[in-house]
Parts: sequence; C-alpha cells; structure tokens
Amino acid sequence: MSNSQEQSAIQEKVLGILEEITGTGEIRNNLDLSLFDEYVLDSLGLVQLIVSLSETFAIKIAPAEVERDQWSSPRKIIENVEKRVAQK
Amino acid sequence: MTPYTSFLYFSILAYLSIPTIIIGLIGKKRLSQAWLIIAMVIMLLIQYLVPQKFLGKTTVEGFWLVIAYAVFQWAVAYGLLLLHKSGKDKKILQTGFYVALACALVPLISVKAAPVFQAVSLIAFIGISYVTFRVIDVIINIHDGLIAELPFVYFTSFVLFFPTISSGPIDRYSRFSQDFSRRRTRREFINDLNAAIYRIFKGFFYEFILAALIKTYWLDPAGYVHGLSGIISYMYAYSFYLFFDFAGYSAFAIGVSYIFGIHTPENFNWAFFSRNIKDFWNRWHISLSFWFRDHIYSRFVFSAMKNKWLKNKYTISYFGYLITFGLMGFWHGFTWYFVTYGFYMAALLICYDLFARFHRRNENQSVFRKRLNHALAIFLTFNVVCFGFLIFSGRLDPSFTPTQAPISLSSARAAK
Repeated sequence: MSNSQEQSAIQEKVLGILEEITGTGEIRNNLDLSLFDEYVLDSLGLVQLIVSLSETFAIKIAPAEVERDQWSSPRKIIENVEKRVAQK
Repeated sequence: MTPYTSFLYFSILAYLSIPTIIIGLIGKKRLSQAWLIIAMVIMLLIQYLVPQKFLGKTTVEGFWLVIAYAVFQWAVAYGLLLLHKSGKDKKILQTGFYVALACALVPLISVKAAPVFQAVSLIAFIGISYVTFRVIDVIINIHDGLIAELPFVYFTSFVLFFPTISSGPIDRYSRFSQDFSRRRTRREFINDLNAAIYRIFKGFFYEFILAALIKTYWLDPAGYVHGLSGIISYMYAYSFYLFFDFAGYSAFAIGVSYIFGIHTPENFNWAFFSRNIKDFWNRWHISLSFWFRDHIYSRFVFSAMKNKWLKNKYTISYFGYLITFGLMGFWHGFTWYFVTYGFYMAALLICYDLFARFHRRNENQSVFRKRLNHALAIFLTFNVVCFGFLIFSGRLDPSFTPTQAPISLSSARAAK
C-alpha cells in the first residue's frame, strides 16, 4: 500500500471512531472543528477516544498525554495518530 | 513573611523586579535566568527564614526545610527517572512508580493528618499543599515517559517558584521548563510586563478592596446573625469573599510570574457565570481542577476502560468523579465539611450528567426562551455552587465562631 493510501485509511478509521464517540457527523464536514470549545468532546470522550485509538492502531499513548491541545480537532487527531503509527 | 499581604512584601518584590526589568529592556537574554534564580533564593529566604505561625504553633525555621523538601523530592523523582532509563521490566517500573508516589506524598499527608491527632507536623511549611501537586506532576510524567531529563536547577525552580509557591496556580513541569529556558526578546518582555501590571492592579482591586470590603461589611457581621437568614447571608457573602480573595491572590501570583518570564496558567474564567456544574469546574480554580482532571479523573477512566473494570462508560465516569472530588475534599483538609464539599460536587456532576443525557434539548425554542433558559441555568448553577461553599466554609460546624478567620483558598491565610 502506498503512503498516501495508508494515510487515508488511517484518516477514515480515526473519523469512524470519532463519529461513534461523539455521535455526530459534524466532524467529517469540518476537520478543524474545535472539539472541546464546541462541546463535542469532553474529558470522558477524550479518554475513550485515546483508549480506542491505542487499541485500533496498536500504538502506545500514555494517560498523561491527555493534553487537550494535541487532540483538539479532527485534523490534529489524525496527524497525531499518523505520526505515532509511522514511529511504530 | 506571608506573600502578597503586606506593604513590605510588595516593596521587596518591586526592588527585586527592577533588575529583571532592566535586563528585559536592554534585551540581555542570558542574564535574566541567572537573575531569576538569585531573586528566587532571596524571596525564599524572606518568606521562610522567619519562624512561622503554622496552624497556631510556631514551626521550625522554614527556609532550610523548604530546600530540604525540594532536594528530597528531586532525589525521589530522579531515582524514578534512572529506574526508567535502566530499562527494567514493566512490573518493576510500576512498583517504582508507586513507591515514588508514596515518598512524594508522605510530607503532605503528615501535615494533613497531624491535626486529626492534635499534633503539628514538623515538616509543615506554607505552600506544601500546592507544591506537592507540582512534584506529583513530574513523577507521573516520568512514569509515562514524557520527561527524559530532570536537571536539578529546573526541578527546584519549578517546585519552589516563589511567586506561586504559597497557593499556586499549579503549573506543569513541561510548560514551566519551556518558559524557564526561553530567552525573551525586548518586545516579548514588554508584552509580559504589560500583562503583569494589569494583573497586579487587578489583584489589588480584588483582594484589598473588594474582598476586604465584603469581609468587613458583610461576611463578618453575617457570622453573628443566628438562624436561617444569617446562614443564607453568610453563604453569599462567603462565596463572593472566597472568589475575590483567591482571584486576587491568583492575579498577583500570575502577574509576578509574567515579570520573570513564566506564563503561569490562569485560575478563573467568569466562574459565577457558568451555565452548569461541569462548566463551572472548567472556570473555577482552573489550575487545580485541571490537575485533578488530567492526573486523577482521566487516569482512572483510562485504566478502567483499558482493563475493562466496568462495562458502562458512564458508570466509570461517575466513579471517576467520586474519586476525584473525594480526594480534592481530603486535600483541602481532613474535616467533615471539606470532604462533604468534595462529595457534594461529585454528586452534582453526576446528577447534571444524568440530566443532560436523558433530557433532549428542544432546538425549536424562540430566542427569548433560549435566553431565559440560559439565564435560569446560570442562576441555578450559581446557587448550588454557593451552597457548596457554605459547606466548605465550616459555618455549619458546631465549633464555628464569628471571630474566626474565614477559610480561604490561599494557603497564607488558611495556613495550609
């Protein structure tokens, strides 16, 4: 699989997880949606997201990395996961 | 000397700021960090060398105690870091983490538990409650592999950072060390100085004018009024006093931090205009509630979900609230009213969450109706919060006397 194909596969999976947790399709329409400011995601949702992402992609995300800034929009989450998958 | 309470303290602070301001204006970047360290030692000497009244008794000379505390905590944290670098297996690392946490907590627990046994801990110093949060932050981040280096000067400056040592705001090590190593340009320095002056004047206004007026003309007299009306009056007076007193302190602490180039996080964001209790905890004593959110609540939920302790994520979250706010209550002190306050807040959060999940919002309301609901939500939240502060204030305890100093969140006056 080429690099860009792999990336779009990651993006699709991440958006799927995010959609399931937040219960809104809004996240697909706007990748820069501010998840916390718009009350789409809260602390519980964020932890659920991180646990889910680390299981799906078999990546390690420590609980102290629940720093909101790096998970604050769909785009940031996708980039974050891509980076970690690449480092694996 | 108690920080931010006397003219003398502010004068010394002003003199110590002069070199920083000169260094900042001529843009000698290297010098500013060196001066910060010197200023820190001088301020710690002033704040802690004089024997202090602590919980009504005079404790040993604080300065050496504070230094010893920092060295001890650095040794604990550094030990954990070395253990991590040695690449031991997971089980040993986990054990090491718990041992390090226990060591780091021993001084604080001895201080908090001492009054229960009618004793005074020998290792008490003003600020130990707040400083412990910073130490735990470092230990957790080491355990999670997010801190790779721990220079002694950085750690000690972080833990004993004098503007915030007595009552926070609670900074994080990774954020602090970035600011600490940053070299400010002249432009950046002037921006920081502007922010600092604004906050310091806000501090004077809140603490020495508003909080003082509320205390003298409303809170203190309300303490003498018997019956329900006295309690209700005390409840509102105390809530406003608590806010202006601590927001004032926080403004000073943040302002002075900015002078020295550290962007200490904020503590308040229009808390009394919160529209629900969850919103409130994102706006009230923010640096504390976020610390608890990140290091207790999220951590618990994380483990519970990962290890599948419980099936329902909402049940997990509710246990998380109980643990988090229960601990926060105990942290305030081992008395029934602090602990009840903690569980009261947890109960409110759980009730609100249930309400929000099962109550479908009607989107077709008129603008007027929406505004009315919003205003009602703010009013309701404000009142349940004030009731929480009434519990917290100790007014309902049989030992309450009108002459006692009101319980404050800044440790200087609360002697925490």
